[in-house]
Amino acid sequence: MFRKSLTALTLAAVAPLASAQSVKLCVFDVIGANGDFYNMVKDYALEMKGHGVDFDLKPYTDEGVAVGDFNAGQCDAVAATDLRTRPFNRFTGTISAVGALPTYDDLKTLLATLAQPKAAPLMKQNGYEVLGIIPAGAGYLFVNDRSIDTAGELAGKRMATLDYQKDAIHMVNFVKATVVPSDITNFAGKFNNGSVDTAYAPAFAYEALELYKGIGDKGGVVDYPLAQLTLQIIARDDVLSDEQAQQSRDVAWAMFPQAMDLIHGQEKAIPEDKWIRIPEKDIRGYQEMFRQNRLEMRDGVNGAPDVYDPKMLGLMSKIRCASNPAASECTAANRE
Amino acid sequence: MYQLATTGRLCVANLKLLIAGAAILLAGCSANPIYSTTGVVLANYSEDEATPYVMQMSDPQMACALGEGVDPLLYSFKRVTDAPDSTGSLLMLLAGNCMEYRAWDAELRYLRADFRGDVPGAKDAREESKRLYAKTAERRYKSFQRAMAAYEFDPAAEPMECPFLYTEQDELTFLLGLLTGMQAIVNDANSGALAGIPRNIAPQAERAAACIDDAKWGGLPNAIRALVWLLLPDTRPELSPDPWQMLDHSAELGIEKGFRASLALKAVAAETFGRPDKLKEAIAQFADAEATIKVWEDYRLVDEVARGVIQFSSDKYWTKHYGYRTPRSFFGKMSPERQMEDVETMDLDDLL
Repeated sequence: MFRKSLTALTLAAVAPLASAQSVKLCVFDVIGANGDFYNMVKDYALEMKGHGVDFDLKPYTDEGVAVGDFNAGQCDAVAATDLRTRPFNRFTGTISAVGALPTYDDLKTLLATLAQPKAAPLMKQNGYEVLGIIPAGAGYLFVNDRSIDTAGELAGKRMATLDYQKDAIHMVNFVKATVVPSDITNFAGKFNNGSVDTAYAPAFAYEALELYKGIGDKGGVVDYPLAQLTLQIIARDDVLSDEQAQQSRDVAWAMFPQAMDLIHGQEKAIPEDKWIRIPEKDIRGYQEMFRQNRLEMRDGVNGAPDVYDPKMLGLMSKIRCASNPAASECTAANRE
Repeated sequence: MYQLATTGRLCVANLKLLIAGAAILLAGCSANPIYSTTGVVLANYSEDEATPYVMQMSDPQMACALGEGVDPLLYSFKRVTDAPDSTGSLLMLLAGNCMEYRAWDAELRYLRADFRGDVPGAKDAREESKRLYAKTAERRYKSFQRAMAAYEFDPAAEPMECPFLYTEQDELTFLLGLLTGMQAIVNDANSGALAGIPRNIAPQAERAAACIDDAKWGGLPNAIRALVWLLLPDTRPELSPDPWQMLDHSAELGIEKGFRASLALKAVAAETFGRPDKLKEAIAQFADAEATIKVWEDYRLVDEVARGVIQFSSDKYWTKHYGYRTPRSFFGKMSPERQMEDVETMDLDDLL
């Protein structure tokens, strides 16, 4: 009897603690705790507290280290770009597939689709679960000479390429440009001091990393989204219940407008005369070029790395064809 | 005949132009002499007397109230004479501090609510702090721009040319302008980018800080540079020391000089990069120096403003972890546990 009541007492004492579980979240932001994305994750964490999940945030300025600490068990969850989170979920890690989402409207449709409870099974892979996806801005091509405005012009040009981004390396080789292995901390310096001719980055880098220096009087930013970068929150599968994980994805999806405000602000900081607009006809050509490459990187053929998830490519193809039904890919025999 | 008429019309037109020009000139003269003289006198008085006086103050709150109250009046003289940019930059800096103090209060309120699990309360306070940080960022950006204009310094120029700084006060005004620009970026990020401050201020400040004598200003120029190196590793020159080592060195120089602004930067860097060890160190260094420091009297206000930053860093830490701000006797410590092991106690057995 005594033992029983003691157990009951112990449970009663433990229960309130268990309801507000603390989840250690390692957050990547190039400028740490005073960065825009870190601040957005703080908003996310506050919303999640309303759902009984208490996140304890830790800033990282190197996402490789953030993911490393997550792997080493020092954090229960990690918020980093999908360039680094791809190994945890190939499906959501394929969102940044080259040229797959040419507009922010398409990205919006995709993220709304993935936030549905129906998509929950796709969010779990290999013991990990995706707790949310937040846009981080499209990657654009920065060039030191405006004459580099077609894929053909890239041949022979030196391009700063993230050395861990297999799909980008493949694309750079495909257009016969020269890969100059770089990382997030040094690509801007290489572009600005002229040791590479081109680099790709979200608009954020234009001002913060002074890419306008590398652009100079002659260069510009090609107005075509090469890939959609997203910030993904990944947790070990047992950290949150299924219900909480779905609530988390809802919360992250609700932050879409806030994230887009931030991104539009960063893109507006690029002066109008620095954007290089490319003709519609050329865009159609690039879309097909990217599509062929995505197929190769889905199947791992013709020397391409096997990095893309077929389901995600299929979903994004559907979205593109819903927003632009006349596109040639929508009637192609080899649809994604 | 036609030619005559045309010439006549031209003459009339010229005469009208002449009269209009004279009218504008006279109107300018009649409206301005006293105003513009007052403006010049006020600007000179502010630079020569008021600024040194305010810099010696030990009450940052009163100084910030001065900034908010006087800036619109003093800077309005730019309508009738040259913009008083150097004093205007300092006044706007003080006005920015005022807004930041309000934002800090809101942030601590957010952390307290978060600690006790009051989510709506926390959201409300966080939203309030974001709005206040946006205002702080706007004021600080203005202060930065005025400081750059005061010394005709173009932070974007390539190659950079250091400004001519004739007096000690000029050096400090310029240096604080750079620091304020950096703070504007941090404030903007904490506002959810509401203010839209250009982020390239950071690399610009890094380059410009090299124009100022580091040892003379208590390591503050190098502390600014080290912070930017941490933010943007690309900006770090080859063979330069490790940024954390540089911040440590700057902090020591600051204490020696009696001007602890570099310590405040070290604390901000520690928070930004998730280094609780360095945060603890910066707060403890500040608190420990209290007993021995000889504050640089001419610039006591700067040391006091730095104290505010360190105090807030400590309060933020305490509120996040324990739900309340740093108790007075715990300033310099990161935990409410008292070190009681070494205290001698008497045997009570005889009394029981």
